[in-house]
Amino acid sequence: MRVTHFLFAVFLLSSPLARGDPWQFEYLLMPSAQVVGTFDRQAPFTQFYDELVAADNLFTIQRGPFKLFGEYYLSDHEGDLERLQLGWQLSSDTVVWMGRYHQPSSEWNHEHHHGQYLSTTITRPAAEEWEDLGGILPQHFTGILVESNHAGPNGWYLRTAAAGGLAPQLTSGGLEPFDLVHPDHNRRQGGYQARASLHPSEFADTGFGVLAASDDIAVVSLPTTPAALGLEHVDLTLLGVFGTYATPSWKIFATYYYVGTELHYLDRLPHNHFSVGYLQAEKRLGHEFTAFGRIEASIGAADSPYLHLFPEAGRDKYIGGLRWDFMQRQALTLQLGKTYTLQGHFADVRFQWCAALF
Amino acid sequence: MRRLLCILLLACGVFGPVHSASESVVLVVRADSPVKDLSSVEVRKLFLGVPVLVEGRLLHAIRNRSDARLDDIFLQQIVAMTQEAYDRQILVGLNRQGWVRPAEVGSVARVIEDLYVDPQAVSYMWLRDVEHNPRLKVLRTLWGE
Repeated sequence: MRVTHFLFAVFLLSSPLARGDPWQFEYLLMPSAQVVGTFDRQAPFTQFYDELVAADNLFTIQRGPFKLFGEYYLSDHEGDLERLQLGWQLSSDTVVWMGRYHQPSSEWNHEHHHGQYLSTTITRPAAEEWEDLGGILPQHFTGILVESNHAGPNGWYLRTAAAGGLAPQLTSGGLEPFDLVHPDHNRRQGGYQARASLHPSEFADTGFGVLAASDDIAVVSLPTTPAALGLEHVDLTLLGVFGTYATPSWKIFATYYYVGTELHYLDRLPHNHFSVGYLQAEKRLGHEFTAFGRIEASIGAADSPYLHLFPEAGRDKYIGGLRWDFMQRQALTLQLGKTYTLQGHFADVRFQWCAALF
Repeated sequence: MRRLLCILLLACGVFGPVHSASESVVLVVRADSPVKDLSSVEVRKLFLGVPVLVEGRLLHAIRNRSDARLDDIFLQQIVAMTQEAYDRQILVGLNRQGWVRPAEVGSVARVIEDLYVDPQAVSYMWLRDVEHNPRLKVLRTLWGE
């Protein structure tokens, strides 16, 4: 039985437990369109895959404490059921999800997911990139996710998320998460992730936290790089810290990841580690303009055998730009970027329209 | 003089409460609703789309948009946000966890009808619209002059 059918069946079976509660529905469309140009190309891979036109469709079907929540992303590059989660609201503070989810050991995921309109910048940091767009860390898992938000002393709030599920596999096209619509029968391994953060109030952006993950990635078809010959599976250990400072006019946030890697070859087991991080600053100007800049940097990336499995992986990147929220829930953004990959560098300019439509 | 004082006191007693009552915004549920009370934090969460459970059952918020003054009071007193920040919070909640935003209703009569059919529904309205209605229960005053 396909996982999607299973989730729908469980949802229908659980709905009698919510007898008397009305059905509730929600739908949100976040479309975007962009043009991209690259120049000063000094690398064999001068740009990541680009999604020029995209529509992010979010829907919720809720009855009582049970909820089916999905996100279907359609673009000129792909059509994919990014999230499909059956949720049980245990209490006002805690929800348990089953299905395909975005790994919670990423504050960027928690803030934006695929919602282009909710991101001030056009591009995600390289460390947070989706698997099918050249991402180096697994982002989509299928399993169980628990999210909580608890009041603490002095008005502070503790947000937590913990999850475990089937990890993406490594193929010749990069990391490939489990597809709910077209499931495969390949051998997959598991991954566990957790995030905890403290915030001065329940809805505050300001806060700081820690994250951790342990992901085992099965290799099902070897990437076409010399580093992949004889590789059986990869174990990733992720530790990180993040923080955000937000005022009505400023928002500054940063994330640092330490990534430990174990590459299990037939005849050897090299251990390595590298670090990646980014710092983004946003300044709200008058007339609905927001200026932004981001620095992405890495340590030890050039020597990482794991990163050499991803020839287009970004090492360092600098971006800056301007966003104009020219009308309610619609924005135009201009972004300039300079990217240093493991094999060279290039620059890019992007212009994007994005919106959020109920 | 004493007679005049008595008349004045009587006038205050009769008309005073009516005047203040008609200028109050109250939190309302169906008369047989299991909801006994909600703190201001819970009310804020409810109208921001955050799931709020009472006795294990999910509450449903109804945003009363029957007049512009109520909208101002909603933003200032209930969710304590600008309209822009409220819109963003609703988007963020839906994007993160599939929160269902409060139903928006444009007439008092329709708000009352929706409260009649759903014991888990919670809304707010001017006290004058609800004070003589035995089928509805006032939980608390959210705003008053």
